[in-house]
Amino acid sequence: MESNRSFFVQLQVLTKRMVLRVVRRPLAELPNLIISAFFLFVYDGALGGVFGGTASGTPFDFANGNFINFILPVSIVSASLSGAASGIYLVEDIESGVFKRYQSMPISRWAIILAPMNVGALRVLLQAGLILLIGKFIGADPEVGNVGFLIVLSLAFIWGMGFAGYSVAAGVKSGSSQGAQAATFLFFPAIFLAPTFVPREQLKGWLETAAAYNPTTYVIEGMRSVMVQGWELDILFRGYLAATSFAVITLTLAVISARKATEKA
Amino acid sequence: MLAVDVKNIKKTFVTKQETVEAVKDVSFQVEQGEIFGLLGPNGAGKSTTILMLTTLLSITKGEASILGLDIVTKDKEVREKIGVALQDTGIDNLLTGKELFFTTCRLWGYSKKDSEKRTMELLELVGLTEAADRRVKTYSGGMKRRLDLGLSLVHSPDILFLDEPTTGLDPGSRRVLWEEIKRLRDNGVTIILTTQYLEEADELADRLAIIDEGLVVAEGTSDELKASIGGDVITFSFENDSDLKNAKNVLNDAIEDKDQLRITVENGAAKIPSFINDLNKNGIIVSSVSASKPTLDDVFLEVTGYRLEGSAGSDSSNELEVK
Ligand SMILES: Nc1ncnc2c1ncn2[C@@H]1O[C@H](COP(=O)(O)OP(=O)(O)OP(=O)(O)O)[C@@H](O)[C@H]1O
Ligand SMILES: [Mg+2]
Repeated sequence: MESNRSFFVQLQVLTKRMVLRVVRRPLAELPNLIISAFFLFVYDGALGGVFGGTASGTPFDFANGNFINFILPVSIVSASLSGAASGIYLVEDIESGVFKRYQSMPISRWAIILAPMNVGALRVLLQAGLILLIGKFIGADPEVGNVGFLIVLSLAFIWGMGFAGYSVAAGVKSGSSQGAQAATFLFFPAIFLAPTFVPREQLKGWLETAAAYNPTTYVIEGMRSVMVQGWELDILFRGYLAATSFAVITLTLAVISARKATEKA
Repeated sequence: MLAVDVKNIKKTFVTKQETVEAVKDVSFQVEQGEIFGLLGPNGAGKSTTILMLTTLLSITKGEASILGLDIVTKDKEVREKIGVALQDTGIDNLLTGKELFFTTCRLWGYSKKDSEKRTMELLELVGLTEAADRRVKTYSGGMKRRLDLGLSLVHSPDILFLDEPTTGLDPGSRRVLWEEIKRLRDNGVTIILTTQYLEEADELADRLAIIDEGLVVAEGTSDELKASIGGDVITFSFENDSDLKNAKNVLNDAIEDKDQLRITVENGAAKIPSFINDLNKNGIIVSSVSASKPTLDDVFLEVTGYRLEGSAGSDSSNELEVK
């Protein structure tokens, strides 16, 4: 029989296999999706009345009359954290020994590592896309028009890949899925040490300082700029810069740690 | 050309807490077309040896070649020639048997069409056609082992490494697997397998090496090893411990084993009366005595000084393990 071992075939086959794994335990997708949707509904319910249309003309009119536009980026950032599943998928394979089986075959190690990243990326796009749809349905209306949704999605994607890289690095380093899971604790500071509920100017003291150092801040602000304010290119640029820098750093760490993991002991 | 040629390989693991000499000095040769067994207890270094030979673990010292290809410098080529079923390799529980075969065929580089064909062939070969569309999660231990064996055969390897292929299986499933392994050998595949079951080594391996604490302590066919003990094994039992102790002084060559003494001599049956005479003269009462041909169990005891766990010197040794 003919045999043709191209990298792309291997990557495609491994990605498909991992998609099957995800599809066969759909419940694992729910928690993050529900939390993200929860943010949207609960914060809109709790704060939309104060900072929404009725705030018009007051100092609290930062949402420009539509609090959903303002809070949607928080939900989207939360949804993009689902990219962190990449690390968990990879570590599951290491723990179960599937990883070793692949190593005993002539498979490109990059294909082995990229497959879970691919699935993480798909997951981010799906979850963030779904939240965007829900947002649109309940009244999100980007100031720059519908292209704003695409900008938000693209930022979410880059940001999500950053978390995918982070989780792969943390998971491989700890060598256990608990390790990969524990690494997700970073999400709380990432989301809440940021201008989550009000603009940065209204944060006080240490939180303002922490937010200034938190890249999430710039990602959320970038998303918000197109949702609430209009074309603010420098804010948008900072958002992309923060997301991209984070992704480049964590993906590099992921590659380094994964290279170690695929080396012979 | 030798299928496998291992020359004084050694593996030392250095961890933060300690340094473990998992394999101290292992050498053996495997001819093409034979089943070679590596028999040894837990922790003997069997898996470590297999991992080195299958290019998954670096060698600390020594060298080895497979079909003349050095396993360090030609590791890519080696991987093409070998099939591997490791002791703790995972099987993807969420996929079906068919999906797993298909995926593995694709990864080995077969086209979709060829992969479909090969999947059907292999499912048939390892007797999983009926269960093909079930998720592996629902497979029994025996089915999983057969699946594992099948997956290692996808690319029709010349040489197959099986690390404890039947551990944990009931005697029936074990036999099914033995038959499959023999059939592979009869089709020209060279097989290196590890086992901690004497019966398995005896029944399956054309030649074997006994490995203990990282060293090969004996090598040969099962018959050669048994013959190397020289003669028959006479087993004495006694009424009490003090008789046992005294008897040890009388029969200098005897090995103590549980509550018995064992001695290996030519023409065992004929010599029993004179042994009993000697013991009686010393006031020792023998409660029972028997002579038998040596078993692999006796060989193991002879070369390592202890028995393989779970074996009781009888053919039912394996059943003890199961339950
Ligand atoms: N990665 C490792 N790091 C440190 N020590 C190890 C490592 N792998 C194996 N060892 C040690 O090396 C020795 C041999 O282990 P190995 O797994 O080769 O034994 P084995 O003969 O396969 O045993 P079993 O029948 O239990 O599978 C053991 O003492 C084990 O603890
Ligand atoms: Mg082992």
